[in-house]
Amino acid sequence: MPSITKMIFGNGPLGPSFAPFIRARPGLQKYWARWSNFYKNAAGYRQKGYLYDDLIVEETPQVQLALKRLSAKQRYDRVFRMRRGLTQSMAHKNLPKEQWIKPEEDVRYLTPLIEQVVAEEAERAEWDYMTVEKIQQKRAEKRNIFSKREGTH
Amino acid sequence: MYSLAKLPKGQSALKTALRRSITSKASSAGGVSVIGFENKGPAATSSLTVAVKAGSRFENTPGVAHVLKNFAFKATASASSLRTARETELYGGVLSAGLTREHLYLTAEFLRGDEEHFLSVLTSVLSSSHFHPYELKELVLPVVQAESVAAQSTPATYALDVAHQLAFRKGLGNSLYASPHYPVTIDDVKTFAQGAFSKSNLAVIGSGISTESLSQVVSSAFGSGSSAPGSSGLNTQSTSYYGGEARIPLDIHAPATSTPTLVIAYGQSSKAGPELKVLKHLLGGESSLKWTPGSSPLSQVAEKVPGASAKAFLLPYSDASLFGVVVSAPTSPQLAGLAKEVAQVLKSAGQSVKDEEVKRAVAKATFADASASETLQGLVANVGPALFAGGEVKSESFSGVSASSIQKAASELLKAKPTVVAVGNVNVLPYA
Repeated sequence: MPSITKMIFGNGPLGPSFAPFIRARPGLQKYWARWSNFYKNAAGYRQKGYLYDDLIVEETPQVQLALKRLSAKQRYDRVFRMRRGLTQSMAHKNLPKEQWIKPEEDVRYLTPLIEQVVAEEAERAEWDYMTVEKIQQKRAEKRNIFSKREGTH
Repeated sequence: MYSLAKLPKGQSALKTALRRSITSKASSAGGVSVIGFENKGPAATSSLTVAVKAGSRFENTPGVAHVLKNFAFKATASASSLRTARETELYGGVLSAGLTREHLYLTAEFLRGDEEHFLSVLTSVLSSSHFHPYELKELVLPVVQAESVAAQSTPATYALDVAHQLAFRKGLGNSLYASPHYPVTIDDVKTFAQGAFSKSNLAVIGSGISTESLSQVVSSAFGSGSSAPGSSGLNTQSTSYYGGEARIPLDIHAPATSTPTLVIAYGQSSKAGPELKVLKHLLGGESSLKWTPGSSPLSQVAEKVPGASAKAFLLPYSDASLFGVVVSAPTSPQLAGLAKEVAQVLKSAGQSVKDEEVKRAVAKATFADASASETLQGLVANVGPALFAGGEVKSESFSGVSASSIQKAASELLKAKPTVVAVGNVNVLPYA
């Protein structure tokens, strides 16, 4: 599980998420799932025909790249849902009830791709700012210039 | 008059080169034939090359071999493409992939002692490449496209590619380059790779490493290879020679370096013998001295037009060969005049040659053959096909070549229908 700071600030384009914290605690997850489902239904996006991943802010380079990695069918469906949802929003109407997105249809189709892109960026950053062990040792020594070394006075 | 007989013979260097290549025999490591060349001297580098029988002639979808070549060293089960590249940089190595009509070569060059790491890189490419669809779109296809465009805008490369299509149609005639007219999907690449990367389809060539130690590491590395022998679902068909003519207009916006080019070639559906290799040097076109066109008939002809060149080529394959001349001149009218003279030279090739000229050509051919295996590229190009053909690597013997045998081989070759490709102003360029 990542640190709390990482969960709030380090989740990239997906925004702050305590999901790893909750997932690590099965009891809490069971309790939280009820709130989660309540929230998802109350938020009203399923009634307009959206999936949860359609709501992710797409104006970031990472999400743009992830969107490019969707299959042709996924991309078409996404645009279709957006157009349908927009029409419903303008009419201030929900879809007929049989067209609402069912919880089992609400698949995270984009999140894994965003995570993949973010992981790739992190890997690149890691290689870009990689330090060779000798330099690490040197830095450690530099930090300790005031502490006495063994064998010296 | 100077004659070859009067020259002191530079035999010793030649002999060592020959000895080196004669004494190396391939050994088999777990179904993969393996050969190592120990280079004596202070060289501190080694190289490993995996030769795969996955050239363009085996492809089912046009261009899939070209795409597969560019998919080398992308994400595998053990490392992402970035990691492979950065680790290679840290080790101070070079990874490269090359494609010919018959083979795909994956090469790693590195400092001696890093064999283990680079062999594991090569095996992971062969056994566990992921072939992500987004890698195809983001990393592979842009490079494929750039290479295809570069080949198309180089008249000599393009003309030779088209010449192969005319000469052999299918199989060997397949273009080396992917084309926008035939999209390659990720599933095509996966199926092709699955067929190509089976053990029976591989050979490993090492330099700076002995055959014994190489076969040891290879058998341990490839031992767990899941690929069953003989599972190759590749398109293998025998080659026959057709010939024909193609005339391609050269884009008027082409860069100044792309000069009008004409390829005249004759093919045969059998392996190239030593006679053809000698014939190539007999016709010549390439000077062995600076500032002089040389005395070969082709360079004598090309000398008449400033900036023009006419070079004989021989492209040997496992079951066919293509012999001919690439002519290029700064302008199409100049090329038209030159091409007629070159055609005359080619038609009378091998006839009424003097013994002296044959001797000179034999010496040149022997040297070219020996010096080719001094470079990694030449070594791999020589050894790779030999490994698949039977496992023993011999240098070509030119002892049986005489003026009469060349004449016979040439007349045999020239009986076939010619393959002529003209790239330039087709209004001016001559017909076959």
